[in-house]
Amino acid sequence: MINRRNFLVKSASALAITFVVPSLLSGKAHAKKPLAQKVTDKQSWGIHVDAGKCVEGCTACVDACNEENGLTGFGRPETDSQWIRKVTVKNKTTDKITTMPMMCQHCENPPCCDVCPTGASFKRVDGIVMVNQHTCIGCRYCMMACPFKARSFVHETLTQQNTNAPRGKGCVESCNLCVNRIDHGSETTACEDACNKAGHSAITFGDLKNPSSKVRLAIDSNSPRRLRNDLNLQQKVFYSNI
Amino acid sequence: MKHLKISFLIFILSVGIQNVSSHDGSPHVTTGKSKADSQEACVEPTELMRKEHYMFLLHQRDETVIDGVRTKKHSFANCIDCHVSYDEQGKAIPINAEGQFCQECHVKTATNITCFSCHAAEPRFPQHSGMTSKMNSNDINELVKHINNDK
Ligand code: HEC
Ligand code: HEC
Ligand code: HEC
Repeated sequence: MINRRNFLVKSASALAITFVVPSLLSGKAHAKKPLAQKVTDKQSWGIHVDAGKCVEGCTACVDACNEENGLTGFGRPETDSQWIRKVTVKNKTTDKITTMPMMCQHCENPPCCDVCPTGASFKRVDGIVMVNQHTCIGCRYCMMACPFKARSFVHETLTQQNTNAPRGKGCVESCNLCVNRIDHGSETTACEDACNKAGHSAITFGDLKNPSSKVRLAIDSNSPRRLRNDLNLQQKVFYSNI
Repeated sequence: MKHLKISFLIFILSVGIQNVSSHDGSPHVTTGKSKADSQEACVEPTELMRKEHYMFLLHQRDETVIDGVRTKKHSFANCIDCHVSYDEQGKAIPINAEGQFCQECHVKTATNITCFSCHAAEPRFPQHSGMTSKMNSNDINELVKHINNDK
């Protein structure tokens, strides 16, 4: 006879078998940080972009970022928030045209943090450069300091923000390497997922300190460079084939 | 006279707080039902939450943003998930709307918070992520998602 208690116990064990066991078997590439633990400098997040694989006209990464972070425009391209954008450049001597995504380059020596009067612009110990919106006063010095124009200012009252991506008027914002996803153990950013799904695989995210991470493999098998290397900002976003 | 005014104010405030502290059967003035309505306890003793809920929030705020701590217990998103009410159609009612959990009490106690100019006042996730929050936790898929998320 199955009584209520028995049924519950049985369903609970069935659940455990279906959902716990696969997670044991899946063999994650990096150990997931327990949610209660603070981030450490044992990891250093970065991105490799293979511009050779980036396709002109494709905006999959931009669209995915907008969806992930609830970025909606007001039909004002000059001021609407962009955390990632597509840039097309032409080499003057060879006429070679390259298209690639540009986002916060997550500098090791970030000028945005140097100029921030409140410390709201900061580099997390695992290398993510971001804005603490609770202390941002909206002065926009960081936007002027950034050589990559990676930051946006929210000019309008917002509604319909995503639970995982609070944002609002009067604050500066930029790519945070999908920090919420990463903290919850995701191994990909939204832009990377979308680029893979579109069949291009131009974006690779991962831990730069782990020699067998996918981003390190991508970096080691290409010979990428940093943009504006002359500024010695030691960015953690690398570009190949530009 | 000044003292009288102050004690009157304190009286009003304390009456106000008692009026909304429900969960003992009488509805706390919200129209629909929330997950909290069917639960026994908050994330800390009710007495403590009533007085110091914002201390937990402000602490969690820095732990999360600066140190990447993502525990659910004092997470703002989690308060909303549990306390938000749903209308008859199962649609979430913004928790800061008139008469809703956070708003109702703050109006009575003359408190103003700006958190919801940035934070979603109801559970809202991007379409693709497959994370949803509905009232009906009998739904096995929902349960599975919660179990997975809790790890
Ligand atoms: C899992 C569900 C759940 C979560 C998560 C939760 N609460 Fe509660 N909360 C409750 C319940 C149930 C009660 C009523 C307890 C009682 O009746 O004694 C309550 C009571 C309260 C009260 C007292 C209300 C009154 O009428 O006196 C406050 C304030 C409160 N919660 C705020 C919060 C905040 C802030 C958070 C996030 C940090 C939070 N709650 C998270 C379920 C929850
Ligand atoms: C200007 C926008 C803005 C305002 C206003 C704001 N926040 Fe936040 N808050 C953020 C951002 C951005 C994050 C980071 C989200 C992340 O990384 O998950 C955040 C994260 C948090 C977190 C950690 C995530 C969670 O769900 O637990 C807490 C707690 C929090 N805020 C509390 C508050 C409280 C309380 C207020 C009001 C006193 C407030 N915030 C006002 C933008 C804001
Ligand atoms: C039982 C009544 C009550 C409920 C319910 C309630 N609050 Fe409060 N809240 C207060 C009071 C009273 C204060 C002011 C406390 C003080 O200043 O000493 C306050 C203060 C706050 C503050 C700090 C404001 C500041 O600027 O210092 C935050 C943040 C806050 N509440 C968030 C919430 C959220 C989010 C909810 C809903 C999940 C909520 N509160 C539900 C009564 C309540």
